[in-house]
Amino acid sequence: MTNTCDQIRIQMGLYLDDELRNGERDEFEAHLQSCTACHEVWEQECRFLERVRAAEPLYVASSQLRERIERNISTSSEPITASHNLRNRIQEALRPSYSPEFHPHLPRLVALTAVLLAVAFAGFWLFSMRSKPDRGLQISGPSDFALMAVDTHLRRLRGQLPLEFISDSPELISSWFAGKVSFSLKLPNYQESSRQEKLYRLEGARLVALKNDYAAYVAYKMKQSPITLVVTANSVALPSGGEEIVSKGLKFHYDSINGLKVITWSDRGLTYALVSDLEERGQQSCLVCHAGTKDRDFIEGLKITSINR
Amino acid sequence: MNGIFAYLACYSLWPQASGGDSLMGKTDKSISDFRQVALEHLDALFGFAMVLTRNRTEAEDLVQETYLRAARAFGRLVPDSNLKSWLFAIMRNIWLNQLRHEQSGPQFVEIDAEDESRWQWLDQTASDPHAVLMQKVEREQVRSAIERLPVRYREVIVLRDIEGFSYQQIAGILQCPAGTVMSRLGRAREQLRSLLVRWQAGTVTK
Repeated sequence: MTNTCDQIRIQMGLYLDDELRNGERDEFEAHLQSCTACHEVWEQECRFLERVRAAEPLYVASSQLRERIERNISTSSEPITASHNLRNRIQEALRPSYSPEFHPHLPRLVALTAVLLAVAFAGFWLFSMRSKPDRGLQISGPSDFALMAVDTHLRRLRGQLPLEFISDSPELISSWFAGKVSFSLKLPNYQESSRQEKLYRLEGARLVALKNDYAAYVAYKMKQSPITLVVTANSVALPSGGEEIVSKGLKFHYDSINGLKVITWSDRGLTYALVSDLEERGQQSCLVCHAGTKDRDFIEGLKITSINR
Repeated sequence: MNGIFAYLACYSLWPQASGGDSLMGKTDKSISDFRQVALEHLDALFGFAMVLTRNRTEAEDLVQETYLRAARAFGRLVPDSNLKSWLFAIMRNIWLNQLRHEQSGPQFVEIDAEDESRWQWLDQTASDPHAVLMQKVEREQVRSAIERLPVRYREVIVLRDIEGFSYQQIAGILQCPAGTVMSRLGRAREQLRSLLVRWQAGTVTK
């Protein structure tokens, strides 16, 4: 092999990538015509690159991802002007009072209050009967869903999961999810209905991938502690593993993963996961939906008392 | 920081290349323009995201974030820029920024998760079942071998040999000199060739 052959071998990749200048290209081709050894190497290189390039496309985006991107692009121009949500919040803040005669949405508010009361009653019925705890205790490894929820929480903490919809309104967030997830999600607003001191703050929502579907992700903050709520359909994930605590027909699974507390459960066709770094089992995170005084009994009941792991 | 990278991607890297999908002469670039031209690159961007993250969930989130950033910055994109390489540069900057924030935690590697739709096009384009099977095996081998490479080699192979970017465009995406692209590509191909040869000889397990 001559020096020219050495140079030709170095230029082989450049030639095949069409990165040689005209003069260099002519010299390269002339050498290939006259040198059998280099021609053979060139043919091998061609076959190799052909094989690699035939692997295109390496991956194909799912149709769900395509739909999600299309939806997001449509709404991505909104930040240029103030969002409707921000306008509504400012209007609410500027109103002199909540007295009914000044409120244009009175009929809707009455209906909403009725719904909230019904949900609160259901919560009370499900969770408040501590006198019959009906607890069982089994411990096994955390479910994939619990692990996914923790991973989602950690990615949010790392700044890898920006919220797609920023709002502190449960109603607006519930509406935002409509049509984006395969189930109907209605976030309760116990705090507002009970006019209590703000225990937590709703920050916003986004979709997160789960298997071949999307789950609903809702971000809360209690004081400085972030709380993650992930919701999906029962058909996509079911809670399992961890420490099981049964209360009035609902089975709660508690796990501690990397110092984070995860509570998963299923109810009415949906599976939920709450992740936080709050104390004990993170039961304080339940306040995001159960801040009513009647539900305090249930939350207290999740405290570690006589159960030992 | 993410914003800064996206800003840099918009203003400092372009325009230095033009291509088939360049936005030549466009001055009034709207979201509908963006949707029309940018979605053509969804599969390519998802492939690159998979190459970077090797995790389907993270790749999907990365693609989504890339489109969100790009849609917001689209109006400021310099005319004649190459949209595809601009999108790739934004994606890589977001990914690099995420790496900087990375902490230890549970990592889900789903590179074996198979999406049936990946192979649907083969069913439509070839009628010989044996040929289809061989193509599938061949593609799977190459994909697995690429996944085995270090990320600096994976990305340069995919940008050049799968996506067909020029050295100059790759240098823009990776923010390194074209000479570095050339030498890195040479080493990446050498490793890839070696892996494929060893697999064919049966001396290494996949």
